[in-house]
Amino acid sequence: MQHSIRNKPDYALLNLMMDEGDQVVTEAGAMVGMTTGLDLQTNMKGGLLGAAKRALGGESLFLNTYTAKEGKQRLDLAPSAPGDIEHFAMVGGTLMVQSGSYLAATADVVVDTKWTGAKTFFGGEGLFMLRCSGQGDLWFSTYGAVHTVDVQGSYTVDTGHIVAFEDSLSFKVRSVGGMKSLFFSSEGLVCEFSGTGRLFLQTRNSAQLAGFLHPFRRVKPKQK
Amino acid sequence: MKITVNHKPAYALAVVDLEEGETVVAEGGAMVSKDSHVGMQTSAGKKGQGALGGLLKGLKRMVAGESFFQNRFTPEGAPGHVTFAPTLVGDIAVHEMTGGSLFLQSTAFLCSAEGVEVDAKWGGAKTFFGGEGLIMLKATGAGPIAFNSFGAIREVDVDGSFVVDTGHIVAFEESLTFKVRRFGGGWKSFFLSGEGLVCNFSGTGRLWIQTRNPAEFGRAVGPLLPPREH
Repeated sequence: MQHSIRNKPDYALLNLMMDEGDQVVTEAGAMVGMTTGLDLQTNMKGGLLGAAKRALGGESLFLNTYTAKEGKQRLDLAPSAPGDIEHFAMVGGTLMVQSGSYLAATADVVVDTKWTGAKTFFGGEGLFMLRCSGQGDLWFSTYGAVHTVDVQGSYTVDTGHIVAFEDSLSFKVRSVGGMKSLFFSSEGLVCEFSGTGRLFLQTRNSAQLAGFLHPFRRVKPKQK
Repeated sequence: MKITVNHKPAYALAVVDLEEGETVVAEGGAMVSKDSHVGMQTSAGKKGQGALGGLLKGLKRMVAGESFFQNRFTPEGAPGHVTFAPTLVGDIAVHEMTGGSLFLQSTAFLCSAEGVEVDAKWGGAKTFFGGEGLIMLKATGAGPIAFNSFGAIREVDVDGSFVVDTGHIVAFEESLTFKVRRFGGGWKSFFLSGEGLVCNFSGTGRLWIQTRNPAEFGRAVGPLLPPREH
């Protein structure tokens, strides 16, 4: 299978050229266009429990598996938000991917939901991570550009801007600054990473876009 | 302090490199990431300004559409960096202040050196009428200041006269005088042309405009969302 990412960085599109028997597992709704020699199977991967865990993670309950029935098949995939797509070659390590950022992976990549603890929930920016391991190709998407940081030591990130990070990094979620900052800084919760490993950030935060649009919503008429 | 803008133009991110003990002041909510040894302090006013002075500054900023509190980032024990991003998609421009003044559209401020004072400034009664909130921020002092746009940012070196839709103004130098007025011939075009209020600049100086208007975007998308309770 060959892959390329077109229209980087603003409106990235993932283009896959598949040989007979190639398989790719995508987020539901990501398909933009395809040739007709591809077989589509929709399933709740990992069984009912796995699917329920993924739904908690903000992902669709369903994943689509595309299998090439013959050679020279093409599949185009796109995420929902404007922004970039990043390719990550899985070679036996583990990558944690923010649930809404998963786009696609080849069939041998194992995707599992990892609950990161109640404190992340508290922030309203539910930091649900998908634990991706195994071997193969993985693609994730960002709202805005992908900003890569090679962490050595300690590095702090706003939770809404985290996209993915290598498992070699340990992290804890906390508030930034002191008590006054917790309530008045508008910075919400941050994730403090430590160790050595690569971290992928997105330069925009969809919760902030929603916050901007909120005042433009119509007001529900009062019911008597 | 060095401000570098990465990922231009659509998804710009400001990377601020600081020496030990140096401080950058930023709009609340703008921080994306930082070295962990960069400390953050939240306050309404400047250090040593006192509670009342801080309260007044914060209130003025809030009226202008900025956050009441601002965050101050300072590396402790070693140099460090902080990154900032605006809310909407768009670009970031960095301007080196050398003693003059710069006017900013109220939501355009991203971050600045401590030596730059950012204060809210009333744009006049007529601008308020337009609903575009042309209460502006006035930046004075010396040092770099970064401001953000919705869409791309374009510099216009005005020499003479230039007219801009109020929703597309990002910043302009104080050397320009301006007047807000209705666009077009009369009341008919004011209501029907969709152009609303414009700002007429004259003199010599630099003007920064944005290629999209946030309020127009909000009005295009907002009604498509489910109604809110209040």
